[in-house]
Order: sequence, then structure tokens, then C-alpha cells
Amino acid sequence: MSSFIIPIGPQHPALKEPEHFTFFVDGEYVTDVKVRIGYMHRGIEKAMEDRTYNQGIYLASRICICTEAHTTCFVQNVEYAMDLKPPRRAEFIRVILCELNRLQSHMLWIGAGGHEIGFDTLFMYLWRDRERVLDILELITGNRITYAMMAVGGVRRDITSDMIAKIQKAMDIVEERAKYYKKVVLSEQSIMARTIGIGTLTPREALELCSVGPILRASGIKSDVRADDPYAAYDETPFNVITYDGCDVYSRFLVRVDEMFESINIIRYCLDHMPQDPIRIKLVKVAPEGEAVSRVEAPRGELIHYLMGKGDVKPYRYKIRAPTLGILPSLVRMLTSRENYVVKIGDIPAIVGGIDPCFCCTDRAVKFIDVSKGKTWSCSYDELNKYANRRYRKVG
Amino acid sequence: MSSSQEESLVENLKALFKDNVLETKLPMSRRLFVAVSPDVYEDVIKFLVKEKQVTHLSTMTGMDLGEKIEVLSHFFGLGMEITIRVAVPKEKPEIKSIVSIVPGAVFYEREIHDLLGVTFIGHPDLARLVLSEDWPEGEYPLRRDYKVQPPKPLREV
Repeated sequence: MSSFIIPIGPQHPALKEPEHFTFFVDGEYVTDVKVRIGYMHRGIEKAMEDRTYNQGIYLASRICICTEAHTTCFVQNVEYAMDLKPPRRAEFIRVILCELNRLQSHMLWIGAGGHEIGFDTLFMYLWRDRERVLDILELITGNRITYAMMAVGGVRRDITSDMIAKIQKAMDIVEERAKYYKKVVLSEQSIMARTIGIGTLTPREALELCSVGPILRASGIKSDVRADDPYAAYDETPFNVITYDGCDVYSRFLVRVDEMFESINIIRYCLDHMPQDPIRIKLVKVAPEGEAVSRVEAPRGELIHYLMGKGDVKPYRYKIRAPTLGILPSLVRMLTSRENYVVKIGDIPAIVGGIDPCFCCTDRAVKFIDVSKGKTWSCSYDELNKYANRRYRKVG
Repeated sequence: MSSSQEESLVENLKALFKDNVLETKLPMSRRLFVAVSPDVYEDVIKFLVKEKQVTHLSTMTGMDLGEKIEVLSHFFGLGMEITIRVAVPKEKPEIKSIVSIVPGAVFYEREIHDLLGVTFIGHPDLARLVLSEDWPEGEYPLRRDYKVQPPKPLREV
């Protein structure tokens, strides 16, 4: 077999985060791909072992942009290990924050997804409206991204009644905008041309490769930690698990757009049904000997933390698996031509962007290897993006 | 909440693998921890995936316990999180790879190999995944005896 090797990365394979891809191409077709991660490996798991549970929360919140999912998962895990039960109001506030976090993350991605396929107007619109959600998060927590709201045994700040009115008003605006974006995604030819039938992952492959989150749901599999393994107040919050069976990047767009509506509805429900409780219980510092596993549905999919305690104020072992690592085997499959499905070089940005990668944050090159000629050439991601847009403009 | 689902799975496993099921724990609802001996590790995974249709591997954790290194596979299925744990001696940390049964395990095993030095027999490609190329051979940062060196000052004052 002959092919050409194209290295992409480590910086900026998509969404400005470092990861290295080596693509084996035969002419225009990608025949194989190798992934190398670790450019953002910060040793957080090791660092957790040197920190108390309370300090760990702030380290967990800095893992990535799904900061609320990570902190919720962390405090839940510690609560499981310590056998604590936070007050119900705190659980509702956690759900509201997780959904606001999901809302801003999905808006970020739909915008960035538009940017990946050369539709920058969508990017500008979404990121403008995302500010509404960030304003609300700032109103509640005092921060736009690292919220530091979670505490072992509850949350750190309450949502007051004048905040509720402001959140409701913002949700109405965001819902109005989300309706418009759904219309855009359903009718815009430039999105469809670049995403329908691109990045195929069949339901069987998705299950086999242990895919998670919106990728799994866009392959028609009804799987959501919030529904299957409910945590916080999700056990009583009604919502739909959105699935589409297109198995392509377009379905991933639709799943995320529809999940925005679900998030808005969950937030409204929680605001109406929050009981009057204290927001946290007294801090316990020591976890007894034992272990716990906590799972949370982060914006990008299932997030799982494992904790081993040895009766100390610090964990003995703390393991974190973020959703993108769970999606990587599926991404490799999506990027490989097989049977009658072919991946072209021009589809790489849409597919890599389509998984909403989160390798946590910077910018460089792609390496292509031609197996037939044994030649290697590199290009930056921006060049690749421009190449892809140019090519599709020609095809029309 | 009834935990009959969990208990029946435990009984199932005990009936099939007898003494090779070393320990089972049910700390809370929807959480099950099963320790098995390395001899039946592959068969237990095969049983879960093929017979019980527990196909979703959430992740795999490696843990240094002093004398031994433990490999934990966290599965989700049958409405619960099933953790299968297996311990290997630290002098010879080797265990069979489960990639042929669960293709999604490929990166998790590579990560454990990288950070804890466990060799997975039969894994298609155990290349470095997270550590840099110039990381010294035989140093595994997630082992307990590895101490993080504080960074050297840029210049002596």
C-alpha cells in the first residue's frame, strides 16, 4: 500500500488546542491516522495526591473549560467516599450551574464548528449570544469561566430571588436565539455541504469504541449519564435525551443545538422547584479508607473520576478521565477511510472540530505522509483550513 | 433502591469463577467493585462484554499499592458502574491486554503503560501517549516512589 504522511499538530489540530496527528494519505484520501496526545499533560492526578480534598476542588476546576462538570464530579466523589449528602437546594444549584456551563460550551462549539467550515458569521453570532450566558454565570459566581462554586457538602453561593428574575430573562433571549440557530442549521446549504455524510461513525462502531456524549447520541444511541446514572437533582428534573441517527458531523450539530433547548428547560425547572434549604453542610476534612467512582455528563460527554482514600486528608490516588480521551478511538475511526466511506484531507477540520475536542490550550502544524512516494510535508492548521475552504468553494 | 441487579451479577460471577473472585464490594447503589485474580481477568471481561452486553468501558485506572500495581477497569452497564480490579506484582507488572475484547481500551492501556509501567501483553501499540519523548526510561511518575522535583530557580540569587 502506498501513502503519504501528513503531520498535523501538536498545536492547533482544532479549536486551538495541542494534539499531534499523523495522517497517512493516498492522493486525496486519508488511509490511516496516528494520534499523539500529552502536550497539555500537567500531572494533575499526581498533584491531587499532594493536596487536601478542599484544595483539590480548585485544581479540578482548572482542568478545562468544562470546569463545572469537573468540580461537580470531584465534590460528588469526595461526598461518596465520606458518605455525605448535600442539601437538596445545593443539588439544584449544581444542576443549574452544570447546565449553564453546558449551554456556554455548546454555544462555543457551534460557533467554532461554523468557523471550522468557513462559516464565520455563525461564529460571530454565537459568541455574541454566549456572552449572555457568561454574564449570568458571572452574576451567580463572580467569574466567567473558573466558577469555584462547588464545595464538599454543597455549594459556596446561593442563587437569590433577584438573580432568578435575571436568569429567566436571559434564558428567554437565549432560547429565542437558539430557535434561530436551529433554523440556520436546518436550512443553510454551506453547513450541509460540509457536514452531511462526513465523519461517519456507525452505532456499532460507537459502542465498540466506547464513545461518549454527543458523539454517541449523534450515532443514534440513547446514552446520557444524567438519565442512566442520575446525580445531583437530575433524578427529578424532566428532560429528553436527544438522539439523531445521521452518524455524521451534521447530526452532531443538531444534537448540540437541541441540547441547548433541553438545558434551558432544565434551568427553568430548577429555578421554579428549588427548595428552601441551607446551601451546604459543615466541612468534613478526612475521607475514610475506601474508594468511590463518580460520573457526570460534561458538555462533551461522560466524565469519570475515581478516588481511593486511605483515611487521610489527601487522596491516595485520584484518577480523572475527561470525555475527549473517551472519544479519541472513535475519532481515529472517523478519520480513516474504510469500505465505501472515504475521508478527504479537506474534511479533516470538520471531523476533528466535530468532536468538540478539549485538549486544554495553543497552535501549530499537520504532517502528511505520502505512502506512495515516501514524501513528507507539513502545513499549519490555518493553511489546512484555508485549503479545505478553497477546495469546497471550487466543488460548490 | 433495590440492589438485586448488583447482587445477582455478583452471584453469577462467583458461580462461574469461584475462588478467583477475591473480593466484592457494594459501597452504594449503582456501584460495584469486584477484585479478581490475574488468571481469570480476561475471562471475566469476556463474560461481561459477550454474555452480559456490558460494552461501555468508561476508563481504566492504574494504582500503585506498594508491593503491587492494581489495574482497574470501570465498565458501565446493567444500570451500574462495574469496576473490575486486578493486581499484578511490581517487579513484573504484566497483564493481558483487553483491546481484542474491548477496542475502546486502546488509549487507556497505553496511558497506564506510560505512567505506571504496566505491560499489556497483546496490545497493538504501546508507544508513549502522554509523556514526552525525552522522558527517562523506567521512570513512572504515577508510582508512589516517584517524587515531584520542585523546579530549579532560573538563576541562583
